[in-house]
Amino acid sequence: MKDYEITIGIECHVQLATKTKLFSEVDNDAREKEPNSCVSPVDYALPGMLPRLNKEAVRMAVIAGHALNAKINLLSRFDRKHYYYPDLPKGYQISQLYQPIIGAGYVALPDGTKVRIEHAHMEEDAGKLSHFAGYSLVDLNRAGTPLIEIVSEPDIHSAAHARDYCKELWRIMTYAGVCFGDLYNGNMRFDVNISLAKPGEPLGTRAEIKNLNSFRSVERAVEYEYKRQSKLLDKGEKVVQETRGWSDDTGETTSQRSKEEAQDYRYMPEPDIPPIHLTEEFVEEMKVEMPKLPEDYREQFKGQIADDTLEILLDYQPLVEKLGETKDVKRVSNWFASVLLAEEKSAEYLNDLPSAKQLNDLAEMTEKAELSSTGAKEVFLKFFDPQMKNRDAREIAKELNVLQENDTGALEAIVDQVLNDPACAQAIADYKAGSEKVLGFLVGQVMKASKGKANPAAVQPILKEKLK
Amino acid sequence: MLSNFSLEDAEAEALGQDLSQIIEYISQLDELDTEGIEPTYQVFEMENVWRDDEIKAQEADREALLALAPEAEDNQIKVPKVL
Repeated sequence: MKDYEITIGIECHVQLATKTKLFSEVDNDAREKEPNSCVSPVDYALPGMLPRLNKEAVRMAVIAGHALNAKINLLSRFDRKHYYYPDLPKGYQISQLYQPIIGAGYVALPDGTKVRIEHAHMEEDAGKLSHFAGYSLVDLNRAGTPLIEIVSEPDIHSAAHARDYCKELWRIMTYAGVCFGDLYNGNMRFDVNISLAKPGEPLGTRAEIKNLNSFRSVERAVEYEYKRQSKLLDKGEKVVQETRGWSDDTGETTSQRSKEEAQDYRYMPEPDIPPIHLTEEFVEEMKVEMPKLPEDYREQFKGQIADDTLEILLDYQPLVEKLGETKDVKRVSNWFASVLLAEEKSAEYLNDLPSAKQLNDLAEMTEKAELSSTGAKEVFLKFFDPQMKNRDAREIAKELNVLQENDTGALEAIVDQVLNDPACAQAIADYKAGSEKVLGFLVGQVMKASKGKANPAAVQPILKEKLK
Repeated sequence: MLSNFSLEDAEAEALGQDLSQIIEYISQLDELDTEGIEPTYQVFEMENVWRDDEIKAQEADREALLALAPEAEDNQIKVPKVL
């Protein structure tokens, strides 16, 4: 098989987290709602209805633009994109073709690779169709939900980078607070354009895989397309420019619509919505109000947390935000990554994290060896126990009886008790005869005698001293 | 909407001719040189017509809206199968 270079561009639809729709004053959160319960005459396209632009959607689009390191176009307009399909009763979608609100920008992937953004525009989402034998049912709850469509340059060259890019976009949009990021409910959807060419040759014909809604399916679809297209090219056949669908079950893409039948959308300026004219001041103000983004946290925690641990934590915005409030970032990040996320209920826990004081106290006690690392983990988990979660770290440690004995006087007494125990006579003799390893056994005996409360690191020197 | 009209063959032919003539007439506009002229997006000089993000009770409820559809089922609009 010959080697091809893969070139990928991605269009991503992001549902904005506004309270109401883009052009009508009805509930924008259709999750768990009855079909057609969040609709207005505007969404229904009754004659004479005038769409009214949601200012908050514009504000969020500006924030999203900043988060994409993009130029914000002070003047932007809406256009009508005509298509005839029951998911949008107007017969056209209100979008921005000619003068989008967000201009060129970029997204930096975790490994530093930059993916340029060509532009991003605002538009309204369409309704949902369910297909049955002989008919389809239309639910317009989602029709009119504000979207921004982010269009990347074809800067991506592997399945892993395609996945990383989508994930980073998801993080950026949720950190920026403009999207709920619920992928299961389609809050973000990805269309992936893929083409192959031999190194140095012009780009090949592309296929577009539509409507992917998980990072894993983006990665798998790209891997599948690489195999499919390279097989065709190896045989001297051509890749058809077309739209393809992806099935998670079969792990394959299938042809949906060839671009030769591509429709003319008869774009025209939207006369119902006057242009958006932003001031420099407003755009700058939004920049000042920007929440911290993944990139800011990478900068902040650089050198304090291992890269791979940080990348795991970055999937959970509340965790990194909390981490930013704590002093011992290294210890707390470790509890978050290896203790909290391993818990079955970790998703629930994320909404109700311990206070910075609880975490700082626990870290300090661990640092001072008042707790063993095991004891610290036990206390940490109690921060999420409904019965104990609001208590101080020290109080919980006392209750769990995991505070370590560091007091030399008290430890010496326990050591003496162990050394006088006839059961230890043999070990003492062995140690004196030069066997260093029995020291571990003796430390263990002291731990046992202290009911686990002695600090082993403090016990060892005392033992050595007394055995001299 | 348009696809809901039904026409007799003779009517269709006559209307087809009318339409061709109308398009031909309007095509005269193509002769104008519009190079470098800003399109007229709007005749009123309005901008930033927007509203606050507040949910408002709607006068027409789901039942009223569904009643306008030719067919409904399970609180949804029923349409001929489309894929």
